[in-house]
Amino acid sequence: MTSRLQQTKGGFNFDNHVRNTMMEGKGMGIPKATKTGTTIVGLIYKDGLVLGADTRATAGPIVADKNCEKIHYLAPNMYCCGAGTAADTEMTTALISSQLELHRLSTGRQARVVTAMTMLKQMLFKYQGQIGAALILGGVDINGPHLYTIYPHGSTDKLPYVTMGSGSLAAMSVFESRYRPDLSREEGISLVQEAIEAGIFNDLGSGSNVDVVVINSEKVEVLRNYAKPNERGVKEASYKFQRGTTEILKTSIRDLVDIKESVNIHTPEAMDIS
Amino acid sequence: MVIHAQPDWNPRISLRLAPSSKASSASSASVLDTSNSYGLHDTMRFGMRQIASEVSSKHPLENRLAEWDNTQMELKMNMARNMYGMHAPIKMAMERSLVIQARGPSMLPQRSNLGLDILAGKDESIDFEDFLNVPEMSTDMVDVHVVMERQLGIRA
Repeated sequence: MTSRLQQTKGGFNFDNHVRNTMMEGKGMGIPKATKTGTTIVGLIYKDGLVLGADTRATAGPIVADKNCEKIHYLAPNMYCCGAGTAADTEMTTALISSQLELHRLSTGRQARVVTAMTMLKQMLFKYQGQIGAALILGGVDINGPHLYTIYPHGSTDKLPYVTMGSGSLAAMSVFESRYRPDLSREEGISLVQEAIEAGIFNDLGSGSNVDVVVINSEKVEVLRNYAKPNERGVKEASYKFQRGTTEILKTSIRDLVDIKESVNIHTPEAMDIS
Repeated sequence: MVIHAQPDWNPRISLRLAPSSKASSASSASVLDTSNSYGLHDTMRFGMRQIASEVSSKHPLENRLAEWDNTQMELKMNMARNMYGMHAPIKMAMERSLVIQARGPSMLPQRSNLGLDILAGKDESIDFEDFLNVPEMSTDMVDVHVVMERQLGIRA
């Protein structure tokens, strides 16, 4: 084992960078990370906000996960949808969720949405976009409902309705034509469902089911697989061969193991106390 | 008549937000770090080493992340100097040095400094370095003999 001069610091290790650039120069590319492709949306309705996401994860042209969860928990009053590299969004939201919990324990108050947004944007700026996480952060705090988008390089927007991901244009077209302020809960959920379905049907990177999360000041409802517009059709007939299709000519049965059952009675020896 | 209560503001103090991606110390690597008494790289102790790759191709994030904490500290010190006067950064630096000195003058790598963590605010936050490549869990060891030899100027 080689010895070192200084203790390595924690965090990301860039030792393989030289080797990777050399391999890329010779023609061997880096393996494709699983992306989420994705349509994620959020909108603010009368009493709070609704977040929605599709459930397909892709690795290049292959569907890697048909029913993945893209809406991640951050705090009891905040959830975050993630688009981009799947591992990056999961790790980032898990890390910020831990940081928020530490912050909440140290201040003794419910975390504000703008706190989570600031933590996320400062971390993503620090890594200069190398962490491929495009997020929609939504939550309700003491100042009401807030909806933010955070881009991989660290820029943010605060808006009443947002879409992100490869299906964002399809979903945004639905929002732009039908959004109005002060929607009711049912109208909000159905608008989100239509927007996600527009992304599912018109974008190759999004597909499968619709996940919805409704957050208001009293409670959070996680409606996993709220709509399943892509259920597999059930085959009408059974294509299994019936018993007896192939004629049996000869039968011979041999036991591979000889099984002998016998009962042994053990007389327990008396304990020797001397 | 306007009375300015703020201290003199020196525009040459850098308020740099983020470190540069190139190492500011002219990117150089020396064989003397890992050399034996013959002056060559000691392959038996330290394994293979390519000086050219250490100097030329570095990931754009490497220096940025390595210098991040120092740059933020410097930014805070400079802003405190601009806002409150010279005493503020001097006090902050004094507290830091007290906490570092309290550990003792040993050069060998030891457990993390709790006082330093508290002053930097790291006791209330969690970052990638706390669960990715945690130094306590690494299988590489720092060779204390080599470190002591280096300090005492003995080349094995």
